[in-house]
Amino acid sequence: MMFNISIDGASFSKNLEDFDSIRSVLLYSDLEPEWLDDIQKNGELFYLELSEGEEEAALAQATANQGVSTNHVRFSEKEAEIITEQNKKQRCGSRSKGEPALKRLARILRRKRRPSQRRGGKDGGKDSSNLSPPASILKNQPGQRQGVTVQQQQLKEVCVYLNPKRLAGSSTPLCDSGGLLEALLGVVHRPAWSRGHGEPTVRQEERLTVHGLIPNSPAIKCGQILIGDVLVAVDDVDVTSENIERVLSCIPGPTQVRLTLETVAPVDRGSAGDTSPLRRTKASPPVSQLVRLLWGEDTAELQMSIGHIPHIVMYLSLKLDSASPQEEEEILYQYPVSEASSQLKGVRGIFLTLCDMLENVTGGQIISSSLLLGKHLVHVGYWKESNNLLVIGLPAERVPLLYLQTVVADVVRTLKVMYGSLDSAFCKVDHTPRLDHFFCLFFQQLIQPSRLREGSSAPPPDVSGTLFLDGLPAVRWLTLPPEIKMEVDTVLSDFESSDFGEMSEDFFGLRRLYVILGSCLFYKSYLIANHLPKEDLLDVCLYCQHYCLLPLASEQRVGQLVIWREVFPQQRANGGSSSSTPGYSQPQGRHFLLIVGLRHFMQCVLLEAGGCASPAVGSPGPDCVYVDQVKATLLQLEVLEAGIEERLNAPPAPCLSCADWFLPAATARDRLDSLTSSSPVLSKLAGAVKGSSSGSRGRSLFGEKSRRSSPQRSLSDSGSEGQMDAGSGSGSSVAPGLSPHSTPDSARKLGGRRDSMGSGGSDGSGGSGGLFKASRMKHPNPFYLGTLKKTLTERETEEMYNTMKLTSGAENTLFHYVLMETVQGIFIAPTHREVAQLSGSIHPQLIRNFHHCCLSIRAAFQQSLPARGRRAADRPQSGGWGLGPVKEHGVLFQCKPENWTDQRKPAPTMTYWVIGRMLLEPVPQEFYVCFHDSVAEVPVEMAFRLSFGLAL
Amino acid sequence: MMLQDGSTQLLCLTASSGVPLFTRGASKQLPFSVIGSLNGVHMFGGGQEVVLSSCETEGGGKVVWRVFQDSVMLIAVSGGGHRAPGSSKEEEVCLQRLLENVWNCMVLVLGQDELVNVRNVERLKRDLRSCFSLIDQLLEEKQEGILGTLTHCADSLVPPNPSLLQEAVDGFAQAADSEFGCLIVHGRIATATEKWWRLAPQEVVLLSALIRSLSDSGSASCDYPVFLPQGSPTVAHRLLRFQLLPGADVCVLCGPTPSLHRAETGLVGRFWSPLVETLRDCLAVGERCLPGSVSLRPGVLALLLINRETRRSVSCVRTPPHHPLGDSPSLSKARCWELLKLFYIFSISRYFTQEETPCVSPEERAQRGNSEDFLLGFSHQPQQCYLVTEECKSYGLQTAQHQLFLLLSPSVPTFALRTAATQTLSDITAATGF
Repeated sequence: MMFNISIDGASFSKNLEDFDSIRSVLLYSDLEPEWLDDIQKNGELFYLELSEGEEEAALAQATANQGVSTNHVRFSEKEAEIITEQNKKQRCGSRSKGEPALKRLARILRRKRRPSQRRGGKDGGKDSSNLSPPASILKNQPGQRQGVTVQQQQLKEVCVYLNPKRLAGSSTPLCDSGGLLEALLGVVHRPAWSRGHGEPTVRQEERLTVHGLIPNSPAIKCGQILIGDVLVAVDDVDVTSENIERVLSCIPGPTQVRLTLETVAPVDRGSAGDTSPLRRTKASPPVSQLVRLLWGEDTAELQMSIGHIPHIVMYLSLKLDSASPQEEEEILYQYPVSEASSQLKGVRGIFLTLCDMLENVTGGQIISSSLLLGKHLVHVGYWKESNNLLVIGLPAERVPLLYLQTVVADVVRTLKVMYGSLDSAFCKVDHTPRLDHFFCLFFQQLIQPSRLREGSSAPPPDVSGTLFLDGLPAVRWLTLPPEIKMEVDTVLSDFESSDFGEMSEDFFGLRRLYVILGSCLFYKSYLIANHLPKEDLLDVCLYCQHYCLLPLASEQRVGQLVIWREVFPQQRANGGSSSSTPGYSQPQGRHFLLIVGLRHFMQCVLLEAGGCASPAVGSPGPDCVYVDQVKATLLQLEVLEAGIEERLNAPPAPCLSCADWFLPAATARDRLDSLTSSSPVLSKLAGAVKGSSSGSRGRSLFGEKSRRSSPQRSLSDSGSEGQMDAGSGSGSSVAPGLSPHSTPDSARKLGGRRDSMGSGGSDGSGGSGGLFKASRMKHPNPFYLGTLKKTLTERETEEMYNTMKLTSGAENTLFHYVLMETVQGIFIAPTHREVAQLSGSIHPQLIRNFHHCCLSIRAAFQQSLPARGRRAADRPQSGGWGLGPVKEHGVLFQCKPENWTDQRKPAPTMTYWVIGRMLLEPVPQEFYVCFHDSVAEVPVEMAFRLSFGLAL
Repeated sequence: MMLQDGSTQLLCLTASSGVPLFTRGASKQLPFSVIGSLNGVHMFGGGQEVVLSSCETEGGGKVVWRVFQDSVMLIAVSGGGHRAPGSSKEEEVCLQRLLENVWNCMVLVLGQDELVNVRNVERLKRDLRSCFSLIDQLLEEKQEGILGTLTHCADSLVPPNPSLLQEAVDGFAQAADSEFGCLIVHGRIATATEKWWRLAPQEVVLLSALIRSLSDSGSASCDYPVFLPQGSPTVAHRLLRFQLLPGADVCVLCGPTPSLHRAETGLVGRFWSPLVETLRDCLAVGERCLPGSVSLRPGVLALLLINRETRRSVSCVRTPPHHPLGDSPSLSKARCWELLKLFYIFSISRYFTQEETPCVSPEERAQRGNSEDFLLGFSHQPQQCYLVTEECKSYGLQTAQHQLFLLLSPSVPTFALRTAATQTLSDITAATGF
């Protein structure tokens, strides 16, 4: 069925000449997808499989080894086998028509076998040459432990999550023989005497050999406990058959325990790498809380840890049947059930009364109220829909009142996208577990985001930043070089045309199942291509944000992600009823969202059934053909990964500075050595210079010089150490300063640094008209290059030229920026990597502060927008009209280094601006920028024009 | 909709039983059922250990609750109307201040004892009527340019020759057996004795308001018993007020002596008749608050300068020079005052710290501190801020000693705002030592 790809391949240029990708596509098409069993009764699918580690990245170009990946867990309670079977039957008509069970079994067996075969083929040579895997320092393979244990046997550590509470809930009695070991952990151990060899063993204590695993138990879910292993210790407590029950019974509540297992010869799993347990446990906890949450594993523990913080979501009915007053009947939905939230639940009468009454008093729906629970200030947001009221209570220290409305509106929109309306989301009983999960994610992300990301490499998120960036009606965009962009767009368009294979109507001579309305493509959480209308893009993005799919993909851990669900795009849902253009109405179709992720790529496809495709009946599950085609698209795109990575690694343009460079030296000097060795920028730069032997002297020298030469300190900065004013100089003026102990080598390093940090500057000074050329090459934005060029006058072009010069080069003072294109629904900000390169101790603080301030700035813009709309009509002349439309708003901040120890001198300070501006002409934009105070005021004005250079 | 656009209604009830004591503001009183439910929801929450503090509706409507001393419940309801949504965040600070001021004003007039230990509700209702004129003044804010009730900094006026007046006030107060004396010109404090400035800022502001309302009554002098909400909430003092010239009043806070008559005949003439010309000069300063020696930059439309240490403020709006070209319709004076006020609220609720009076208990701070949670989120200290809107440009800056809020005309380039602000600050402080 995949021949069509290769036929089409001619138009895809060189991509498909890559034999491996075709092979991998074929590989996929050949076998039953493993997400098949996870499809739920209503057709929804959320299948997430992690791929571990670096080996896989290396292999990624060659094959997509889905079989090797280990972990996958059901998203929600497993469906009965019969239903799954039914599902498959009613799934697409084009594919398998209910295979005979035997055939299916055979397939599964084949799949099981495959990894080993493949591995044999791939690593065969290596394995035969050295039987024990090479001891790698980096990878911590089990081989290293050989000295500790005897013989071929090795110890491995496995973390499993146990929940004794589940035992109480389940009706199954503890089986006498297995006890807690079986019931709690899911490990079957048959004591020797019961194995029926007649003679009872003399030994009282027996080693706990795993004789079997209980399905769906923690032991089998973790995928690392094998039959034949011996359980040696639980949380470092040695266990035997004698004490195991006692040890396990001591576990009070849901918790994670570390099991030490003695395993027989490690086979050759070590080379596959991804199941090497020691590496896993040492590098990070098995999986981050986020992934476990997404998998729908037990959320009790996470929820418990924020139980003392008051937060709640309730869906209340405003219409009460007073005839049959039942306890709590007005609560249609409620989450969570904790002590603090029960207090909020107790006062739901307040919410209902206020909602009912205030509309009459002040002439507007209630939006929010603030309550004080003991010491906690809680903001409650309201959303009324027909006769029901959604109430969301959040702690004030997490969500400022300024932004509460945005948060609530986003949740409501997400729910509407997922369920069509709030009523249909909350009023069906069988939605409850899914809503619990939804809101668990919601609260966890808001209240303890750090906990979710625990163990992942990503920097700790800051709440304000998340609030601000997620709250923007836009998606983070990554500008790509035009040739890559074109390639990506071509591949996507080809996919969307859906005129191949089983997706084309010619294939079966039937109407196709779905029309592809459009798709968008993410790479490491950046949007790199979008073929969806803005509102649809925002809908899709809200869903992705809510389920944290974007950060997930950026952390290199997604082996395979397949999501399928019916969605209700808001634009289409509303547009259908009130269509403005006569003679045209939106087709009344049903819409489905298909998200497929492979490693760093994630593609979201919006499908329509009905309209010109055949109408959907019932709740169809994901169609393999479409999933496979998306996968094939992603595999094709993988060729471009190198190019995109190159873009991500490129020096930031416009250049960014690190706040720490601007603080006078005294504290920085102490950290200098550590800085040079730890700072990714410097080490990277050192590495970038060819043939530089990074001796320690040379390095520290280099570090110092680079730090010195970067900023021009402003007059307002107090406490400057009276050192050089060379900062303003160009490379040539710094070089003499180096001379006392400089070698040609270090001078060259300096040059190297300039090249990599300041390339934007060299572009800018490239001569007349160079700006347009340079920036176009750097930031291809396909949208409105032409109009922009036309609207700019000669003078403005001149200023833009200055702007680029200003923000680049040696005295670059730009710290951070966010530019939102309102029309496209995208925003541009420095990439995570660019920010990470500018490590420093103050810079992260500064960015946090920037985001917090942006919350306020954007709130000021927001408040002025509706006023702007009605301005012409009825602008009241006498007061009572607020501040009026805000165009620009800026705040000046002062920062001091933390723990300043020198008593004699006042701490040095650094001041910087955070400025936001809303532009309505020529295109609506919002622009937020953060830069050092030393910029002369006139350039501040011009810094905004930078946005044009950026957007080009 | 029961409340008119933009109007504010104040409800006062007994906290324990919910008996309405009075309602002020807004032409049409809210129906009793609404008052009952507004009080009811708060009481219900109290029973569940949840304190309801504020509420916001679309279109900028706002309700704020507050219980004082477990005895009096004050509720302020403000209708939305033309206010842009979202701006009510700022409004809330306003209403919180209003409730605080109203309570203090009730204490000022009646004393804390009568309010806390209510024996006879009907009698209390009757007694409270004496507060109405003051409360109405707080609600209506009819006199332009008085921001003290919002800033809790005394509205001041910088006289052309302060030392002469200072001497006279000190001497006059001493002669009246008092340490507390002040001279009020155009409703603003021109000079006061050192002790007067030691009163809590809220008391100074409220006393100024009281004196304004007393002098509006037109009498030449009066003797009025006052309780100091912070200083002596249970023991009354006498406030003696004498009109010196129309628009200029002198007051002292004193004990049982001297009698009004003795002070009026014996002291006023002695101390103030030599200074009539000085007082006239002072009156000439008028609403500009600053002597003529201070020249403001041409673009400045309005300013509010607060001295954070002495808790005094000067504010003024300049009638903009009429543009012959008339390309932009210049702002009316009233709108300028409003914008200045809004910008002040905007800045302090987001960026600048409000000075808390030391006597505020932590619980009360938490109760009113809704706006501060946002402020605490900043990892670095905000120093200055500006806002460019369609009508004007605003600039705020804060130093260790001062807070300055400036309204500038839209024609001033944005990059010049900062220079304009810092220069205005240094000009004023250099010329007046404010």
